[in-house]
Parts: sequence; structure tokens; C-alpha cells
Amino acid sequence: MIGEIAHFLALASALGLILVLIFNAFFYSAGRHANQDILSYKLFHQSCLLIFISFGLYIYLAITDDFSISYIANHSNSQLPIFYKITSIWSAHEGSMFLWIVFLTLWSTLFINSLSFQHQLKKGTMLMLTIIILGFLLFLLITSNPFERILPFGVLEGADINPVLQDPALAIHPPLLYLGYVGFVISFSFITAYLFHGDIHYPWEKDIKNWSLIAWIFLTVGITLGSWWAYYELGWGGYWFWDPVENASLMPWLAATALIHSNIVTLKKDKLHSWTALLSIFTFIMSLLGTFLVRSGVLNSVHAFANDPYRGVYILSTILFITFFSLAIFIIKSPKKSLYGEYSFLQKDNFILINNCFLIFFLSVILVGTVYPIILDAISGKSISVGPVYYHTILAPFLFAFLFFMSHGPLISWNKEDKFLQIKNFKIFFPISIAISSVIIFWFFDYKDIILILGLLFSVYLIVSVIFDWISQKKLSLNFGRLVSHLGFGTLIFAIFVNAYLSKEINAAMKVGEEITIQEFVIKFKSINKIKKENYEEVFGNFLVTNKKKQVELTPSIRKYDQPVQFTSETSIKTNFIVDYYFAINLSEFEKDKIMVRFYYKPLMFWIWFSILLIAFGGIYQTFRLRNE
Amino acid sequence: MNNKYKIIILGITIVIIFILFLRVLNSDKTYQPNQMIGKKIPEFILENLLNKNPKLDSNILSGKDFAVLNIWASWCIPCRIEHPFLMDLKNKNQIDIIGLNYKDESGNAKNFLKKYGNPFSLIGVDKKGEVAIQLGAYGVPETYVLKKGKIIFKHIGPLNEDTVNQILELQNK
Repeated sequence: MIGEIAHFLALASALGLILVLIFNAFFYSAGRHANQDILSYKLFHQSCLLIFISFGLYIYLAITDDFSISYIANHSNSQLPIFYKITSIWSAHEGSMFLWIVFLTLWSTLFINSLSFQHQLKKGTMLMLTIIILGFLLFLLITSNPFERILPFGVLEGADINPVLQDPALAIHPPLLYLGYVGFVISFSFITAYLFHGDIHYPWEKDIKNWSLIAWIFLTVGITLGSWWAYYELGWGGYWFWDPVENASLMPWLAATALIHSNIVTLKKDKLHSWTALLSIFTFIMSLLGTFLVRSGVLNSVHAFANDPYRGVYILSTILFITFFSLAIFIIKSPKKSLYGEYSFLQKDNFILINNCFLIFFLSVILVGTVYPIILDAISGKSISVGPVYYHTILAPFLFAFLFFMSHGPLISWNKEDKFLQIKNFKIFFPISIAISSVIIFWFFDYKDIILILGLLFSVYLIVSVIFDWISQKKLSLNFGRLVSHLGFGTLIFAIFVNAYLSKEINAAMKVGEEITIQEFVIKFKSINKIKKENYEEVFGNFLVTNKKKQVELTPSIRKYDQPVQFTSETSIKTNFIVDYYFAINLSEFEKDKIMVRFYYKPLMFWIWFSILLIAFGGIYQTFRLRNE
Repeated sequence: MNNKYKIIILGITIVIIFILFLRVLNSDKTYQPNQMIGKKIPEFILENLLNKNPKLDSNILSGKDFAVLNIWASWCIPCRIEHPFLMDLKNKNQIDIIGLNYKDESGNAKNFLKKYGNPFSLIGVDKKGEVAIQLGAYGVPETYVLKKGKIIFKHIGPLNEDTVNQILELQNK
């Protein structure tokens, strides 16, 4: 019964949104109708509310194990802890689409609520949001109905969610990521509404700034959580695999990063209006593309044989419709203010624009690497694999230039061209970074190549410039967010390069009691013990790794889940500021009495995660500062 | 450029993208499984899943008059569906079936065989999926029929009664 109520509420919400559209189709152009407007806002908010209630009921169904609902029966079971019963909702297609829509409505209703009644763009934005929500809500209800029952009786027990996915980081990773993805709908619909209006002069860039920044923060944290999960759970010692699904989240991030920077230029200098507007549209389109790639079955069409191509066609049409509509409006009514005011190379806005172009270039490279193999495969049947080598070789050289401009950009004045100051800065930064990076390179690295040298040099260059900038601030709070984020980016690139070149990997088959010496590591397999838990059995191996004088004890394990029987390997990681000792074990392939061990020595992993936290923290600080202004 | 032309270009681009992705979405059907047909299997040597020896050598396969090569994994749900067909092919029809264990944990793979039975005379471990790529495999499960090392038939996805009959016909030819 509750399932039906939830389903009904979702349908009612869709109906409500349709009514909003019909209603406004009659009254929109006919001037201002205060009463009608109040009515349609109310209807809009209440439709959103219905979706929230419907989702709340759905959570209740999942918690109470209503296995007559087909989706819940397929993705949850009664043995799961409550937390995972809830998170099982977004462990597959229908439920995660539902969550996506819930967040879409959440952002929409918050934003519309934040605009005053007099706001000229309130109605237009609401209508844009209504169209988008409706498009996806109908997609959910027509092609991927999460409320579908198993008739006539349902089943007694559900299946299980993949144990690899039973993990706190992964459980909250999709919601954060979706909050980020979907958050860009605000700047998108606001801009399109503005363009649609056309004849009003309104400082839209101020209104969307904070919203896109918040969405960007969620996206940053969401991507990181996914990456962190892959690092400690998958047991391959890596944290970024250039997997199409990962790329799908990185593309909107790059576009959004470009957006929040060009938005600053538009705000401060009254320039780049079209560019910022286009980026707002483009960022959301990238989010939609990500959703399409992940949700339509295009990516895993290789493995999923029971995919419903109708779903893909629907979501593809919706997304392309939104893309066409928004870009067409942009072409017709793009802000006609000149792109450049007076032009001089050494100006802050110019540097931001240059790095914007770099970001879009990075994005294009990733877009091609992600989409081209899929299309090529479909058209010619040829498979090519695009891996890290492609991305690293193409991106690295441009990353160095990007870092250079990023170092100088913030130090340049908005208004006047000051050549001497920049040359002076360069004269300070360059020797310092050369000195620091050479010391690091000669001290720690046996193997050197030009990419490593440049990578370290330019990341140190950025860090030095940020520190210099930091010290010379008169009022720190003004730029604190930016300084922290940029510092985080510098340390991130530095850590990634060091990690890539100094990581070590050891694979071996070992018996209990055995001791092996490989490279500079001595690994001793001390003992083995077993623990029985609620829904799995776990075998721990105790290992002692000796590296020169340092001793680290690690206890990786293998879990055997009973429903269905599945083995997973749990890593054991000892982290400190300098290096991660990372251990994973597997059952041996050939020898029954031995266990396969994989040991990784991963330097500066802590700094990779910490740097991203810094980047996100800078964004959060800035958001609060903007709020208080 | 006139706005009208810009919009026309945008429209055409969108339509092209739509058509391209539509093909992608339908590619499971439009894909022609005949590409490798008639070709000799690539050369490889793989570790044996169950015993140390013999290793799975492509030369062994080339030596066989008639053999079925099946790519499978314990994590692959359709493999469970097709497993009874493989068991039948082996037990009722005495067909020599070689397994290619694709990107799998060997413990899981062995358990899978313990639970559902082992139809394979020899199983090679394709831990990284490299041999599967060489074979032009699209995923798991996938089945090849070999005559003296030459691929004469290929099926993508789980076996069903039709494909089993096709394989039996090929054997009797």
C-alpha cells in the first residue's frame, strides 16, 4: 500500500508540474499577474514537496524490507544493516535516478525560494527548472519505475548488494556526487531564463556565483570519495584509473572550475559575459552527459546484456533537447557586451581567461578519450583502449603551463598593467623553486625524466607563489579561500608526481612463517586468524614489513560473504604524512597453502587527499564569506 | 555569421550526435559477431586454474579437431544462466570445452565450479583479460567454436538452446 502511495505522490508531482507549465503557457507573456504567479509558485513548491515525501516513503519501504517492490527485492535483503538498506536505494539504476531527481527538486525549490517575489527572473527560472524536472521525472516513471511490484505476491527475501559496495565511503559518494552534478542546474536555468528574457539588465553573475560554488564543492568532495574508495577497497593501489565513469564526473568539474573563475571576471570587470553564460550552460550539459554515459547503459553495454535501449533513447533525447534549446537561446540572445574591454596582456582577467581555455582543453581531451572509443566501437566495430598513457602524455605538458599562469594570475592587478612587478615576482619564484625542486629530485629520485622534473618544478613554483602571496596579504580574510584552494592544488600536483614516480609494488605468494626480501623491503608473514561476523567470515593475515629501520605491521584480510557467496579482499593501509604502506591478499591460484600478497609503497598519499580537502575547504570558506557580504 | 545559420549548424550537430549515440545504444544488436570467424586463434599461454600443469597453450587448442572455448567469470551472472548448457554439452554430447577464466579471483572461480559443476577439460586464467581482448571478445560470457584452431562460430552472451543446437550441428558437419 505504501508503495502505491509513494508511486501516486510521484505521479501527482509530475501532474502538478505539468499544470505549472500549462498555467504559465497562458499567462506568461501577458504581463504581471501577481495572483497567478503566487499560485504557480505554490504549485511548484508543492510538487517538489510531493517528490520528497515520495522518496521518504521509499526509504521507509527499503528499511522495512518490502520485497514486493521489485527494485528493493533485487538490491537489498533483510540481513543488511539499516544504513545499507537505505544506501541500497542508490546502488542501481532506478533508485539512483530517483535520488538524482530528488536532488534536482531540492536545489530547484531552494533556489526559487531564495529569489524575492519581485525578482524579474524568478518565473522564467522556475519554468526552466519545471521543464527539466518534468523531463527526468517522466523518464523515471515511464522507463525506470522504482515502484514496480513483483505481482502477485512478491518474494520473501531479497538479493544482496555487492559486498564491495557495502562501504560507508561508497554509500555516501553517489549522493554527494549527484548533489554536485545537479547543482549546476541552478546557474543553467537562471542563465537561460535571463537570455530568454533578453531585454533586461540584471547582474545575474552575482546570483549564481554562490550556487555554482556550492555545487562545485559537492562535486569535488564526491569525486574524491569515489577515488578514495577505489584506493582502499579495490586493492590495486591506485586512486584514479581514467575510467569512463570517473571521467564523466571530472568533465563537469573542469567546466565548473572554469565557470567559477570566469564568473569572478564578469563580476569584477563587467567582462566575459557571454563566456560565463556559455560556461554555465556547458557545465550543466557536461553533468547531463555524465548522467547519460553512466545511466543509459552506453558504458557497460559490453557487460550488460539485458539493457533496455529505450531508456537510453529517452535520456539521450531529453539531454539533446535541453542542449539544443539552451544553446539556441544562447546563439540568439547571448549578452552583446563586448568580450574585451581595453585589452592588455598582463591583466588578471586575461590570465584567468587563458587558464579557462586550458581547463576547456583538458576537458576536451578527456571528452574525446571517453566518448571516441564508444562511438568508434559502435560504428566500425573496432575497439581501441584509451588508457592513462593517452591522458598523461597529452595533458602533462599543458598542465605545466597551466600551473605557471595559475601562479602569476592572482598576483596581477585587475586594473593596471605592471610588467615590472611580474618580472620581479618571476625573479623571486624561479630561483627558489629551481633550488627546492632540484634538491628534492637529486635527493629522492634515482630515475628522472623531463616530465617529472617539470612537474615538480611547476608545482613547487605554484606553492612558492601562493606562500609569497599569502605573506604579502594586507587583509587575509579577503583572499583566504582562494589561497587555500590554490595551495591545495599545488600540493596535489606535487604529491601526484612524487607518488607516480616513487611508488613501489611487490607481488608474491607466501606461506605462514615465511620471510621474503624484495627491493629494500623485508616482508614477514607472521600468522593467520579467522573471525566470524554477521554476514561474512573474515581471514586476517598478519604481516610485518621492514623498510630499513622502520617496521610496520599490517593485517589485510579476505572476506567470505554468504549471501550470495562472494570473496572480497580487504586492504590494510598504514598511513603517515610521508608514505602509505598498503597491503592486500588473495587466495592463491596454484598453491593451496600459500596466499598471494600484494604490497604497495605509496608515498604522499596523505597529501593527495589532504590537498583535495584544502581545495574544497577554500571553496567552503569563500561560500560563507560571500554569504556574509 | 547569421544567427539562423548558426542555429541550423547547431541543429545538424545535435542530430548527428543523436544518430551516433543511437547507434551506440543499439550496438549490441548491430554488432556483427563474424569478425573473427575464419581466423586462427591468436597465440597465448595461460596458467591453469586448477592444477599447475598443463598450461593452456593456444597450440593445444590448434591441435584439437573440435573444441568449444568459453569465456566466463564467477562474478558474471549470465554465466550462471548458461552454465547448465555447458554441463549438458560436456556430459550429454561429449564436447571438449576449454574455459577462459576472465578477470576473476581464482578462489571465487573455484567455488563457482564446485557449486555448479565443472564442464571444462582445461581452464586458463586470463587475469587481466588480455587474451580475451586478443580474441576480440566483447565481454563475458562469450563462446567460440574452434576447428583445428580456427574460429568457425562465435556467440556473444549466454548460451541458449538455439546456440547449443547450432554448436551440435557444427560438430556433426
